[in-house]
Amino acid sequence: METNQNTEVLCLEGLKKSFGDLLVLDNIDLRVTKGETIVILGASGSGKSTMLRCVNFMEVPSGGRIILHGEQVGKENQNGSRTYDEKSLSDLRSRVGMVFQHFNLFPHMTVKQNVMEGPRTVLKCDQAECERRAKLYLDKVGLGWKADAWPSELSGGQQQRVAIARALAMEPDIMLFDEATSALDPELVGEVLETMKQLAEEGMTMLIVTHELGFAYTVADRVLFLSKGKILEQGAPEAVLINPKEEATKNFLRGHGSFRLPEPNLD
Amino acid sequence: MDYQWDFSAVVTYWPVLLVGLKNTIILAAVCLVLGLFFGLFVGAARYSSNRLVNWPATAFVEVFRNTPVLVQIMWFYFAFPIISPIEVNAFTAATLGLTLNTVAFSSEIYRAGIQSISKGQWEAAKALGMTYTEQMRRIILPQAIRRMVPAFTNRAVELVKMTSLASVIAYGELMHQAKTISIIAFNPIEMYTSVAIIFFVLIAPLSLLVQRLEMKKRKSS
Repeated sequence: METNQNTEVLCLEGLKKSFGDLLVLDNIDLRVTKGETIVILGASGSGKSTMLRCVNFMEVPSGGRIILHGEQVGKENQNGSRTYDEKSLSDLRSRVGMVFQHFNLFPHMTVKQNVMEGPRTVLKCDQAECERRAKLYLDKVGLGWKADAWPSELSGGQQQRVAIARALAMEPDIMLFDEATSALDPELVGEVLETMKQLAEEGMTMLIVTHELGFAYTVADRVLFLSKGKILEQGAPEAVLINPKEEATKNFLRGHGSFRLPEPNLD
Repeated sequence: MDYQWDFSAVVTYWPVLLVGLKNTIILAAVCLVLGLFFGLFVGAARYSSNRLVNWPATAFVEVFRNTPVLVQIMWFYFAFPIISPIEVNAFTAATLGLTLNTVAFSSEIYRAGIQSISKGQWEAAKALGMTYTEQMRRIILPQAIRRMVPAFTNRAVELVKMTSLASVIAYGELMHQAKTISIIAFNPIEMYTSVAIIFFVLIAPLSLLVQRLEMKKRKSS
């Protein structure tokens, strides 16, 4: 563990993104410290996925600054706008892990090759190092025994855990989860959330977009609620999820709480 | 039917037919290699978002897809020499016609193959930090080419058949040789039957391969 718990990993300043006339992100400010797990909530269209995708420039922000480990991404032009060359964006992305809703494993590679691909092609690690990482991170997500399987032979939950291992194999500074469980059958959601929880406990810095409120409540250090491209409310899970202040947050939580089971008897 | 089949001329003139077979294979092979090679660039050009690049490529593809190959070959033999500084013999004209036609069709196969790969594959590769070239080389092309193989093999079959069109400009391929022999030996019936059999023996394995590949593709997807 780092001695300095307050090391800032990521900083977003005045982040803006618009698609044509549509302003999707409006002045987002966020500081993420090392080891922090942040869950981003919001209604559909609130900009939460776009915010995540701006962090590793899957979407290029329209304005504002993104600072990873004290280094600002891109070069400043004379008129204040920024240009981003492919090299520096690739470099940034290699330090930011991303897990997608639809897993996006490479179907022409085995599980192990999927995990080794980033270290090999991007980080130019040698064979032994690639193998070491593949074993380490597949074991971490509990799928070492599936190393030689093809992605199509795995369940959705297993595929997503491989996708997590693939991102971890880059040994990133921060992990982004973009609705990582939304495409899964309900009975497979648990294993993926469990893996994410374990990562959080091990001190990985994570930004998570999800609809799993129970997970947010249990695992998050901080919950953000996005509405119309702004961070409307943020704080500890208790504060945002149990005692929300804003009307939009309350409405959102009401929409999620309509049907609830009493405690099931699982003995 | 009391026609007396007499294949003796086929045996007598076998070396002449063999030259034709050799020329057929050479023409098909040259046009296939050149066509697939340049097709990749035209396909990439059509994929480009720059209009100055994709419009000429699109125009090229449409011209060659929408005119008969026979007309293209005749045009390159009779009309092209007038505007061209280089000498155009039968082989060059046939190669130009068939190659450009193959370029047009294969560029479409490349384009469709690459576009059939889901956006998520590009994104996953990009998110790992791969450059565009690395995304293409490591992730997109290996998957796309697998999907393209049946279509390309099919194209090869078509190409071998189309080489017979070069007989109209007296290129010494199989069909032209057969025509020549049939005039000398007065046996067009046996000659063209033999040519049909030779083409069948040449092409059937390729067609079989296409079927195999398509079956495999269906299984894997």
